[in-house]
Amino acid sequence: MPAWVKGASTDMDTAIAAAAELLGAARTPVIAGLNAEVSAIRAAYDLAGRVGASLDTLGAAGTYAELGALSRSGAMTSTPAEVVGRADAVLVVGAKPWSTELTGRILEARPSRGRAAGAERALMALGTGAPQAALTVPAEGGLLPGLALLRAHLRGHLAEASPTADLARTLAASLYVAVLYDPAEVGEMGVETIQGLVIDLNETTRAFSLAVPGETQDRAVVPVAAWTTGQAPRTGFGRRVPEHDPWRFDAARQVAAGEADAALWLASVPAPAPGWLSRIPSIALVGDASPEAAEVVIAVGVPGRDLGGVLWNETRGALTYWPARAGGAVAADLPSAASVLSRLTDHLAGRSDTAC
Amino acid sequence: MSTLTLREAPPERLDLLPITPLSLSGLSQGEAERLEIGTSRRGVRLGDIFTVSLDGSDTLTIEGGHERLDQVGAALSEGTLRVNGDVGQRLGAGMAGGRITVSGYAGPYAGSGATGGLITVEGDAGDHAGGALYGAKAGLDGATLIVRGRAGDHCGDRMRRGTILVGRAGAHAGARMIAGTLAALEVGDLPGFGMRRGTLVVGRHGALSPTFVETGSHDLVYLRLLARHLQGLSEAHAALLARPLRRYSGDLATLAKGEIWVAA
Repeated sequence: MPAWVKGASTDMDTAIAAAAELLGAARTPVIAGLNAEVSAIRAAYDLAGRVGASLDTLGAAGTYAELGALSRSGAMTSTPAEVVGRADAVLVVGAKPWSTELTGRILEARPSRGRAAGAERALMALGTGAPQAALTVPAEGGLLPGLALLRAHLRGHLAEASPTADLARTLAASLYVAVLYDPAEVGEMGVETIQGLVIDLNETTRAFSLAVPGETQDRAVVPVAAWTTGQAPRTGFGRRVPEHDPWRFDAARQVAAGEADAALWLASVPAPAPGWLSRIPSIALVGDASPEAAEVVIAVGVPGRDLGGVLWNETRGALTYWPARAGGAVAADLPSAASVLSRLTDHLAGRSDTAC
Repeated sequence: MSTLTLREAPPERLDLLPITPLSLSGLSQGEAERLEIGTSRRGVRLGDIFTVSLDGSDTLTIEGGHERLDQVGAALSEGTLRVNGDVGQRLGAGMAGGRITVSGYAGPYAGSGATGGLITVEGDAGDHAGGALYGAKAGLDGATLIVRGRAGDHCGDRMRRGTILVGRAGAHAGARMIAGTLAALEVGDLPGFGMRRGTLVVGRHGALSPTFVETGSHDLVYLRLLARHLQGLSEAHAALLARPLRRYSGDLATLAKGEIWVAA
């Protein structure tokens, strides 16, 4: 059971006591990362309620670009399986989607279900071109003006001949359009413009948006946060009730401003730790543990490898259980992140009066 | 005039939502000092951080501001609030009336959702000045917001009503505007991106979205009325309207009923 305090190897009880000491002494602790299985994310929210911490996620930039646009204009979304099975026109926005495995699957298949079954599939690019794209619109001024220009053509507000006009015509003539994008790359206003043009396309044909898979468990954090607090992930418990504030509970900002005085980094699904972690007293519960990752480091089992756990399944667009892989560590060797977090919560329960 | 004097830098972000001249006027010295303003689990009371001096009037001065003072004047409905120093996020957010003046810097979301009154920031403001909060329907919603210095990006984002005057604004000023008026001596890239209705008056601007089209120069009675209205708030902004103006219509990606007036 690898655990370290200030770089020195120790046993689990000592490490948990040191972590509890560190969190218990803090005025404004933060719990960040949340790149973990559902049981660990739930335990992190319990711990945050106990110590009055705020929470932040690894993929918050993309998550809030999506949620911000969703809260303002709604969204028409599809799933990877639906797009692979039904889309005859796929618009790829920006550079990031081209490097995902999903785009490969879309390229390999042709529509097999629905109104476009049997048709050819055309991929089109806005922003970054790729050899696989049948049509590329470069968007010299950036993705935002490029998207706005496309939407203006689709609405009939602009009509002069241009590659954007050709793209708009092709999309409007398709039977099932899918727009692929990376929320962190296009930003909130980009997502909103994409949703707007998808809604416009649905006046005459079928169209859906599909955000490409992120490399984080944010899609699992959002529902857990919602069913636990009724809010999106960046929630703080300093005043005992959950307060949602995406600006105030941005962990990097809190550390830079000197507000946070202790941090717990949760990444049972391995992810690079942020640079700010070393600037304040910190605890790391990580799948890939190294003694110098934080002041207190506890190695935990990686869900889907060492232990079973519920993770976001990109292919199915749902939360699914992943059993431990044969050849992973024996469960007794590495504790689950959830069990460490709940021991930490219990340890703090005796000394803290901020139970939520 | 009641006065709150900051004694030390706050150890955590403070929420000054309950602190207005009206709310303090009915309280004794002791009651006011015990008002909870902290945001962490330790908590902080007004008297821990500020020296409180009350006289029951409708004017309150905060001497010595700090970047951690959030929601200053956010519940203001009448009276006057003056801060000699900086403030944090959501200055006057959702206020319904009265006057707020900040001598220093204001954090993000100043004047967000404010439906009435006048907010003046004599220094700079952060991002989203007069812009909408996460999940909120609108940014500035009827109040007047003046930023004498620079405002950050997304100034007036999704504003719905009222007037914003800024010295210089960053990128995306007036983006996704629903309605209202924003005047700036200078704005950054993509002003008015996704605006539905509303009016931007700018001295200089960065890259304009190709979804704005020039619709010529006009001499409208409305502009003269607007100039007269702005004269009382800021002469420099009123002077913009005295120069020859080019009108751009947009954003064609949305309703396209907005306009950007660019002074020559």
